[in-house]
Order: sequence, then structure tokens, then C-alpha cells
Amino acid sequence: MTWFLFAGDMLVMLFMVALVVWVFWRSPDKTLDATARIPLEDELADERTIS
Amino acid sequence: MAVEQAAGRALRPAGVYHDRAVTALVLCSVVWALLGMLAGLYVAAELVWPEIDFGREWLSYGRLRTLHTNAVIFGFGVSALMGTAFYSVQRTCHVPLFAPRLAWFCCIGWQLGMLAGGLSLLAGWNAGKEYAELEWPFDIAIAVVWVCFAVVFFGTIAKRRIQPIYVSNWFYGALIIVIAMLHIVNSLAVPVGLSKSYSLFAGAQDAIVQWWYGHNAVGFLLTGGFLGMLYYFLPKHADRPIWSYRLSIVAFWSFTYAYIWAGPHHLHYNAIPEWVQSLGMVMSLVLLAPSWATMVNGVMTVAGAWEKLKTDPALKFIVLSLAFYGLATFEGPMMSIKSVNVVSHFTDWTIGHVHSGALGWNAMITFGTFYFLVPRLMGAPLHSVRLANIHFWLALAGTMLYILAMWGAGVSQGLLWLSLDEIGELSFSFKDIMASMAPYYALRLAAGLIFFAGVLLLAFNLFMTVKGRRTIAVAPPKTTGF
Repeated sequence: MTWFLFAGDMLVMLFMVALVVWVFWRSPDKTLDATARIPLEDELADERTIS
Repeated sequence: MAVEQAAGRALRPAGVYHDRAVTALVLCSVVWALLGMLAGLYVAAELVWPEIDFGREWLSYGRLRTLHTNAVIFGFGVSALMGTAFYSVQRTCHVPLFAPRLAWFCCIGWQLGMLAGGLSLLAGWNAGKEYAELEWPFDIAIAVVWVCFAVVFFGTIAKRRIQPIYVSNWFYGALIIVIAMLHIVNSLAVPVGLSKSYSLFAGAQDAIVQWWYGHNAVGFLLTGGFLGMLYYFLPKHADRPIWSYRLSIVAFWSFTYAYIWAGPHHLHYNAIPEWVQSLGMVMSLVLLAPSWATMVNGVMTVAGAWEKLKTDPALKFIVLSLAFYGLATFEGPMMSIKSVNVVSHFTDWTIGHVHSGALGWNAMITFGTFYFLVPRLMGAPLHSVRLANIHFWLALAGTMLYILAMWGAGVSQGLLWLSLDEIGELSFSFKDIMASMAPYYALRLAAGLIFFAGVLLLAFNLFMTVKGRRTIAVAPPKTTGF
């Protein structure tokens, strides 16, 4: 059981490393910057009048 | 679709966002905060004056304490998470909610379930599992509502008009999926009547499953869920994008990966395998990295908007919650180290740690979000900014006093329990040590009163803001950059 869990743990770790590499290499800055701005541009601009 | 290709493309009108269920959930959350914290205040008073249970079972510490934890976590916390998830998922997907009637079912079903569940706890129904005390009929009801929550949330994501799934939705999504898995597995039981069931697991397995559930409920509900709230409402309120979106994604996956293993640190020096305890400790220490990555990301997001902090109570609450998030997520891994745990385990230090997270992180970010959200939902300014500022200072004072009192009590308990005399016997009896806790428990009650006074101000302020108004209609943007 210990070895089974250890092997599973290492597979998940491998996934984590692959993900980090993918996020840093495959996602252009422009796309990430635009995604980060989603909460700032999610309503019609003229709807908000609260100060 | 490439950003530059689709920029500015006009899309079909998408209707308006469904926000009325959000308003209802936010207001229910405030009511649960009042009820749950009042119950907490009463049990804190019972630890100072034990006779105030007046010999009635439903006023006893055991029943009221359970009502307190369930009301604040599942009533206050989950109502707030459900409401803010519904609010943010439709906006970050640029579409109204999928199945809005099902969203109303989630809202009403959850409140009725929690109300009946709370009464059952007062009546003495108790499954005997921490943070999972409700008996099997309520477990089934919770699972049904939770699945509906998942349908509304993931249905909205499935019909989104923009390609990326914003990071707050990853956290809310993890909350929904992981809590469903934990709740169903931990609640597996054999019913022997309407009010009694026995767990399917026994002995050490039962303990491991319970704390796999218990710690990940803290992780994916009280941490992950509220991080979803943070990642949407902090940029929104600071009016600037998250400092590093890359860091937020890496933090999400490392958080999700590491948290699920950390539960056994609740069972140090107990009858579970040694290696399981060590694994729990190591994974708890690994969690420092994603936790502090998020805190740094949050603080750097606010950098440049410090001026706003002087006048904006909502942002003050959110920024302060980040500080307490950093404190609690540093303290937790430290307490999971076995040589520290030998002092802290079974003492009030743990209670102090829990409340630095619950009051300082969960409650404060929720208060900040509500002060921001309710005026937007109503299309009207907050009733009183001054009251909100007073609430901020009361919340900070109450939380600090609570933590300091419990640190004092907990460290004293741990060291006194470990003291041996010259012939190797215990220097102090359990009874004597508990008797010496009276000043700390009185301080804790004072801290609770201060914090609760602030919550009363919040409730008054928000209900005055809502009074006589209806939720306004807000539409998604007509164009999208994706």
C-alpha cells in the first residue's frame, strides 16, 4: 500500500511539474493579461453608478 | 480563439445576470452569522459560568457548540460562497446563470436544510463526526442541494461566451467537486432509525476518513472556496487585475495537490501508522508555498491602490483578511510539526488557530465582500460608511483579543500538562490546569462580544442598504475580447 501511494504521489507530482512548465511556456503573456482583466470588464460600463 | 482576432466582436444579446438569488443568499448568510456567532458567544459564556445551561439539554455546551460550528461554517460560510459563486461565475463567463430556478432551489433548500439540521442538533441528534454532525437524512438533503449547485455552476461555465475560465472559477469548482466527494464518503453510514446511524468505517480507518474529510473541508471550503471569492472580488474592488495570473494558476494546482494529503496531522501520536502521520506533516509544510504565493499575489494586487484603503472599509476588510490568511497558513503548518504538535494538540492553541482563520480570514473577507457587493446589487450606496469603519476596528480588536487569549491558554495548557515532578509524575492535575484557565476564558468571552457587536453593525448597515429596494438588472458586456 505504501508503494502504491508513493507511486500515485509521484505521478501527481509529475503532473504538477508538467503543468507548471506548460503554464510558463505555452501561455503567452497577452492571453494571461487579458484573462486577468476578466473581472474588470464583465458588466456593461454604463450600468454602474455607485460611487 | 486568438485574442487579437476576436477583439471587439459584437455578440448576440445575452439577457441580464440573475442576481436576485445572490441577494437572498447574502442576506441569509448575514442572518446565519448572527445566529451562529450568538451560539458561539453563549458557549464561551458557559465556559465562564457553567450554570447558565440551567440544566436544559438543548442549552448544554455539547449541543450549542455543535450548533455554533455548523451555523457559522455551513450557514454563514456556504451561503456566502454559494451567493458569491453565482454572482461571479456568470460575470466571468459573460452569460446569465444556467438554470436560475435551480439556483433558487439551492438557496431555499440549503437554508431549510440548515435550519432543520440546526434544530436536530439542539434536539440531540448527532452523528459524532466533527463538522459532519448532522444525521443521515440531512446528509442526503445536503448532497442533493450540492449536486444542484454543481449543475448551476458548471452549466454556466459550459455555456460561457469567452474561452478562458477565470481562476476564481477554478477555486469555486474545486470547492464543489471536492466537498461533494468528501461529504459523500465521510457520511457513508448504516441508519438504524431516523435519528441515528453508524459509520461504515471503524477504528483507525474511521479516524483517518474523518480527518481526511475534516481537514479538507477546512482546505477546500474555508480556504479554497474563499480564495475563489478573493480572486474575483479583490481585483474587482481594487480596480486592477491580479498581480500575477500565472502565479495564481500554479498556486491553485499546488494547493489542490498538497491539501488532500494533510489531514493526518490531526492524528499525531494516535493509533494510525507512523508514516501516515509523517506524510500529513510533510504535506502540511508543503502547503506553505501555495498559501503564501496567494497572499503575496493579493498584497501585490493592492499595491498602488493603498490610497483607497484610507476611505474604503470593504477593501480594508479584504486586505486585513489577507494578513490573517498569511498568519493562519503559517501557523497551521508549524502546528503540524510533530514536536510542536506535542504541545499544541488538545489545547486551546488549536481553538485560537481555528479562529485566526475563521474570524480573521473567512469572516473578514466575507464582510469586505458584502460591503462591496450589497450596494452593487441594490444600485445604491452603502447606508453608512462610518458604521462599516467602526465594524472594521471592532472586528480587528475582537479577533486579536480572541487569538491572544487562546494562545495564552493553549501554550499554558500544553506546557503544564507536560510538566513532570522529580519522580516523573505529573506536576499538575487536569482539574487544576483547567481552573487556572478562567482569566483566558473571560478574555475570550470579551473578544467574542466585541466581534459580535461588529456583526450587529454589519447586519444593521446591510439591511438598511437593502430596505425598500430591489436587486437591479445588470447585463453582460456586448463585446468580448476573447
